[in-house]
Amino acid sequence: MISYLRRQASIYGAIAASVPKRFLAFEIWFWVGLVLGAIEMMILVFFWRAVYGQTATLGGLSLDQTLTYILLAQVFAALADQDLIWEFGYNLREGLIAHMLLRPVGFQTNYYVQALASLATRMIMQLPMALLATAAFGLRWPTDLAAWGAFLVSALLGYTALFFFHWILACLTFYTTEVWGLGVLVYGLTRFFSGGLMPLAIMPVWLRTLVLAIPFAQSLAIPLNFLSGITPVAEAPATWLFQLAWVIGLGVVSQLFFRVAVRKVTVQGG
Amino acid sequence: MSIDSVPSPSQFAPPTAGAVSYNEISRSRREAQTAAPAPAGSLMPAIEVENLRKVFYISKKDPGLAGAVKALFRPRFDEKVAVDGISLRVEPGEMVGYIGVNGAGKSTTIKMLTGVLVPTGGTVRVLGRDPHRDRVANARDVGVVFGQRSQMWWDLALVESLNLIAKIYEIPAARYRELLDEFAATLELNELLSVPIRNMSLGQKMRAELAATLIHEPKVVYLDEPTIGLDLIVKERIRDFIKEQNRTRGTTVILTTHDLGDIEELCQRVIIIDAGHIIFDGPISTIKDRFGKYREITFEVAAGAARLELPAGADVIAAEPRTLALRFDRTQTTASQVAAAVMSQVDVRDFSLAEPDLSAIVKQIYNGALQEEAAA
Repeated sequence: MISYLRRQASIYGAIAASVPKRFLAFEIWFWVGLVLGAIEMMILVFFWRAVYGQTATLGGLSLDQTLTYILLAQVFAALADQDLIWEFGYNLREGLIAHMLLRPVGFQTNYYVQALASLATRMIMQLPMALLATAAFGLRWPTDLAAWGAFLVSALLGYTALFFFHWILACLTFYTTEVWGLGVLVYGLTRFFSGGLMPLAIMPVWLRTLVLAIPFAQSLAIPLNFLSGITPVAEAPATWLFQLAWVIGLGVVSQLFFRVAVRKVTVQGG
Repeated sequence: MSIDSVPSPSQFAPPTAGAVSYNEISRSRREAQTAAPAPAGSLMPAIEVENLRKVFYISKKDPGLAGAVKALFRPRFDEKVAVDGISLRVEPGEMVGYIGVNGAGKSTTIKMLTGVLVPTGGTVRVLGRDPHRDRVANARDVGVVFGQRSQMWWDLALVESLNLIAKIYEIPAARYRELLDEFAATLELNELLSVPIRNMSLGQKMRAELAATLIHEPKVVYLDEPTIGLDLIVKERIRDFIKEQNRTRGTTVILTTHDLGDIEELCQRVIIIDAGHIIFDGPISTIKDRFGKYREITFEVAAGAARLELPAGADVIAAEPRTLALRFDRTQTTASQVAAAVMSQVDVRDFSLAEPDLSAIVKQIYNGALQEEAAA
């Protein structure tokens, strides 16, 4: 068993290690991403300052609390990023899916490990954004280690749930082989419902209920609520359990979807 | 597996075509296989395919916007039978050419053999496994080159891709180093190891692709148009490499290509597929004997003759001041009769006899020579 785990760790470790190399292959992307991120952060800060010009609190949150949340959401935006739909679509369109299926590794595990490595890489690449948020917009980082712990566990569970959810949607591309419309729709929904643009507490009750009933918010808003002090750390175990239920449910469904969908695979271009 | 275990070409003699149709040919093969199973204790075939079938359903839309909208509410599909009941058996260490016109079903067959596509019907066993159901185990023992797409990581240097493949296939470090050195020397990859795949030329990419495909020493290799678009020198190098792998490691190779030079150079056996059916399965020598009706003799002459008296079935196809090229139907006359006739009328300094050209023969078969032969 230990030998098996060691072998698997070696294989997937190597796959994970290849991800940052691929990210850094095009330096220009890094700089462009940084500039765009900085602009977006600036717009959101000014937007929320303008909104709070009319009121002292919104959904029970002060301007400071909201800004802290928004700045943290910008720094940790990668938690809501999933490229599975685009990747499946590209691999199907180019016929590369054949090679992906011919690797002697778990198909979903391979993608999951790459998604985690990609998340870690993006987090490191976001360090300049963290500095900008601190220096230019006065972001005060939480000092409570328990809050960080609750955030990290919740972020891992939420990111995994979102991965499985996107996996289910990505399986649709085996049937459609066209992903543009689906990709744009899911990107837009994720941006909004993940809580990257506003704290869930500010949303009307009916919308918040809807957002909590779908998995988008699990990867960003729910973990960030611990870090920004919106959710007390004491609620962490209940939150984790809820997220774990999402992970298990979506994980099982995603496996079933894939098992059926892969039988429909066509390899474009001969 | 030793190359010595490769069966003799006679074991793959095609079915007697006589007065039989395409379907009868493939049916007779299936029946022959069913009636005569491999004797107990014989080697397990590398590939065994029985009555394999693949049907695609292609969305059918009327032209224009109205057609697109109508398709939203009443989708219609055309059934396209890409592979229609093929059966074949490939022994360990064999190199088999799998050819056919575009759309004949070659690539679809290969993708079912690799487990990428799920057959609509029939069975596939590769090294005793169902390649789709046992995807991971199968993937460890096979290698695939799809000539038009790369299995390597586009943005990584070749050596990084190979290192990653070595990890994924769990190649022991010492063995990997040994193979990397060997492949780098044979395929002249030393200069390319630090180059990202996206910066390579087509020929360089294909050499790299072969290294990536064979570095884990697969028992079965599928090469889907491995020399497409390559120049003669690169082709030669790639063919030599494949031959060497087969010779030294007993690698079973299934080769699909439109370049019959690849087939002639590498394979003893050829399978021809047309419209999803196998229409010929046998040694290249048999195909040449059966369909290589015409041969060419080229004479180097002192001076041309105004008019030549030739045996029936022989024609002049090119006449230049110092060269005379003739084609003859070997069912009507012989090379020696043609040569004797020419030498009796013209001062011949030298002559050469060309073997039947496989491309021309295969073209005849694609154009229905088998049907004609069966009808005769």
